[in-house]
Amino acid sequence: MHMHIDDVPSLGWELSAETCVASMDEAQVDAAAVMTIVDLPGGANPTAMELIAQACERFPGRLYGFIRLNPRHPAKARELLDVAVTELGFRGLKLHPVSSLAHPAHPDTIALIRAAGELGVPTLFHCGDEPLTTPLSIAPAAAACPDAPIILGHMGGYRHVDEAIDVAERHPNIILETSAMPYPAKIREAIDRIGVHRVIFGSDGPVSSPALERQKVVRAGLTDEELDLVLGGTAASLLGVA
Amino acid sequence: MPIDALCFLGVSRFGYELGAADAIRALDAEGIGTAVVAAMHPRDGDLARANAELAEVAARSGDRFLPTARVDPWDGQSALDDLTHAVTRNGARALLFHPDEEHFPINDIRLRPFAERADELGVPVIVATGFHCVSEAVQVGRFASWCPRVPVIMTNGGQLNISGQGQFDAELALRLPNVHILTSGVYRDDFLERTVKNFGAERVLFASAAPQFDFAYELRRVHRVRMTADQRRLVLSGNAERIFGGPAA
Repeated sequence: MHMHIDDVPSLGWELSAETCVASMDEAQVDAAAVMTIVDLPGGANPTAMELIAQACERFPGRLYGFIRLNPRHPAKARELLDVAVTELGFRGLKLHPVSSLAHPAHPDTIALIRAAGELGVPTLFHCGDEPLTTPLSIAPAAAACPDAPIILGHMGGYRHVDEAIDVAERHPNIILETSAMPYPAKIREAIDRIGVHRVIFGSDGPVSSPALERQKVVRAGLTDEELDLVLGGTAASLLGVA
Repeated sequence: MPIDALCFLGVSRFGYELGAADAIRALDAEGIGTAVVAAMHPRDGDLARANAELAEVAARSGDRFLPTARVDPWDGQSALDDLTHAVTRNGARALLFHPDEEHFPINDIRLRPFAERADELGVPVIVATGFHCVSEAVQVGRFASWCPRVPVIMTNGGQLNISGQGQFDAELALRLPNVHILTSGVYRDDFLERTVKNFGAERVLFASAAPQFDFAYELRRVHRVRMTADQRRLVLSGNAERIFGGPAA
């Protein structure tokens, strides 16, 4: 539920759809949500939306696009969200407050999350240890948009994982995504506290290994039914491909 | 067999624990021969006693555990004395600093005597790295510049940042030839691969940093990294043997 494609040599990012799919094949991952590293509008890759759309077109049924936007350009961001979802078939919105410097609880961000929810797609936040991205910074947005699914990518990073579970307990529209955070046991704890339907596998690949990230879920001590839901069942529903 | 270059034993006042028997079981399950071990920050804060107890556990472990000396530099001269005692009397193989749990910046000038003492004693220094304001990689690099003959080893690849934003700082620190990294918690294969490629496999050591991180999962990280068999041998055990002296040293 969290992979990257981009082509921004000036930032050192050259991640192709083919690289993504090859790493998915190795990890026996059937499908992935893909998004760029940079934001629209105004980011270092003005053709980011087209890049993702073309990748999804080349790998139908394997790649599903998320549009990565900067809420600080509210009108243009909203326009791009509409085009991405209604015309190009994107399945989600990605927000990375470190790159956009847009606080998750800023009214412009909340408006965009709400719009995504109204379009029927979830919002995936980068949620780690950096200012602007911690679970408690995102929580007010979840409270303001109770009908919009909000996914906490990395489920709090290294030092905010307990906080992410706590926030998810209090906001039923929050879903935790497992990529990069290093604690297999926290996946089990999260499921016990918020329910298996609100924890989903992500890899942050292809630079982090989908195969290794999958192992983290496998090592979390889940039942077969839980494993199926975390590794794909719930994400398929979120992507609208169940 | 692999050597785990850092895990923690005991009961931490910060809410986690790992007993020696459980650690041995985990090492056996993963085929890890030896672990460099550090004391947790004990509830009473008495690191000297924790180091002594750790040394006893290590002595009884049949070379499965290589002890370190963890000191709190705010204790000044008595911490220096504890370090010397732990190394010369109790066989400690390294000095461990945890700037986050003992609350000190690793580049504070008051730590320079510890760098010099580590040099005199001939032991490496492990620094819990990546903690904002106290052990950012470039701060660790400053400490390492005070003891150029001493291996200084940064945990977590030199950063704790889920966006990898500390990677450039880690590489700045690695420009000092005595700086090394542990693989614990490094979520991106390419960071470890880049370090091996740009700085040499001699600078990278496998570590679990258990119990906060997971023995088995952390070992799998190293097996995922693309490197030659010789490089992997160095990362899994050769570098630890060279730096910590190995089980029979």
